[in-house]
Amino acid sequence: MNSGEKAAMRTYFESLPVYSAYFDEAIDAVIAAMDSGIRAEKGRVLVELGATNKDFWFLKDGFLKEMYRSPYAKEDTLFNMIPPSSIFVNEDTLFANQRPQHYFTAYTSVEILRLKEEDYMRLLQQYPVVINLLYLSGTAEIQKSRRARLNMLRMNKTPDRIEWVRQQRRELYHIMDRITLAQYIGVSRASLYRAFEKNIKYQF
Amino acid sequence: MLSQKEVERLHYGLLSHIQLKGDGDAEALRALSNKFILRNVHSGDTLWDLDSESGDLHFILEGTFAEYLKRGTQSFILRFYRPGKFAFSEDLLLYSKHSDTFAKALSSAKVASLPSVHFQNALRQGGLGVKLMEVLINLSMTEYRNTTYEMLQTSGTNRIHAALEQFPDLLHLIPRRELADYLGISRASLFRSLKEIGHE
Repeated sequence: MNSGEKAAMRTYFESLPVYSAYFDEAIDAVIAAMDSGIRAEKGRVLVELGATNKDFWFLKDGFLKEMYRSPYAKEDTLFNMIPPSSIFVNEDTLFANQRPQHYFTAYTSVEILRLKEEDYMRLLQQYPVVINLLYLSGTAEIQKSRRARLNMLRMNKTPDRIEWVRQQRRELYHIMDRITLAQYIGVSRASLYRAFEKNIKYQF
Repeated sequence: MLSQKEVERLHYGLLSHIQLKGDGDAEALRALSNKFILRNVHSGDTLWDLDSESGDLHFILEGTFAEYLKRGTQSFILRFYRPGKFAFSEDLLLYSKHSDTFAKALSSAKVASLPSVHFQNALRQGGLGVKLMEVLINLSMTEYRNTTYEMLQTSGTNRIHAALEQFPDLLHLIPRRELADYLGISRASLFRSLKEIGHE
């Protein structure tokens, strides 16, 4: 990895609530084991996360759309938007040994880094406590974010949901087009447009 | 104390989630099953509170629970726990922090609870404890994902359909006002949607 990629990874680990200098040796080992950046242009599906892939991925730059097939929609639907400096994985494959039901598409051009499953397992043997704590802390951040978004999705007024994204997910708010925003907050396009017409402050 | 039948049920429940490797793991799992304590919970009683200090791990033998998240002065249902499932405050148990949620029995219930101290001991010993921790994290992640699917449906009818797929008895578990909050739709929209799908 180049120095920029290493710095981005280190910044991520240091941002975790569990981080202390005690973790540095293990973090250096993780960074040394990671692959160099993979670049994907806007619109490309990340085929690197294939059906059996259990690697850990880090989105260094750009935004990803996490898509899934909803039984209630004709087309594949947005499940989540992933901002830079995020870890993402094939959850179905990693947690349940199943074919992935989600896939990732580059919403902008993106750069991603990878920690291969075998390297993760080797590092887990070498630094069991620290790697488990990093895993736990990273997961806790994802959980918190999912819980907060669920809370937003339960707001029964569209303007409240838009306001939540504006306040809590600022970088997403500025990057998402209206169709993506409507999907992200779980409302129809018509409902989103009505809310925008009523409130000038939501204008991009 | 758990009866032999309840221990077996609990043991089977743990086995269905944890992949064992060797006799050591199997023995550790058996020993862990025996540390669970039986609790009878009345409808309306809590399994854990906002001011609970220790995170016990619960396995639901009978009855249904709802986990509520406090937002301002109101509380909203975050998720449900049904028989055969683990219930726990992820804040307390996994992240050792103050709980932002509480869980309340929606009906009379029977629960097998592993006191926090035994869970932490198992975790410190590594092996099975670490596997259990991973299982709980994965279950929690998957639950949030499933609930997010429901909430991403733009029509009230589809939200109800998606929720019923996860919890077929949902309509009988909670009052309509709470159901509307859970689904993130107005009461009027809930009643319209229920009528549409022939439930009202």
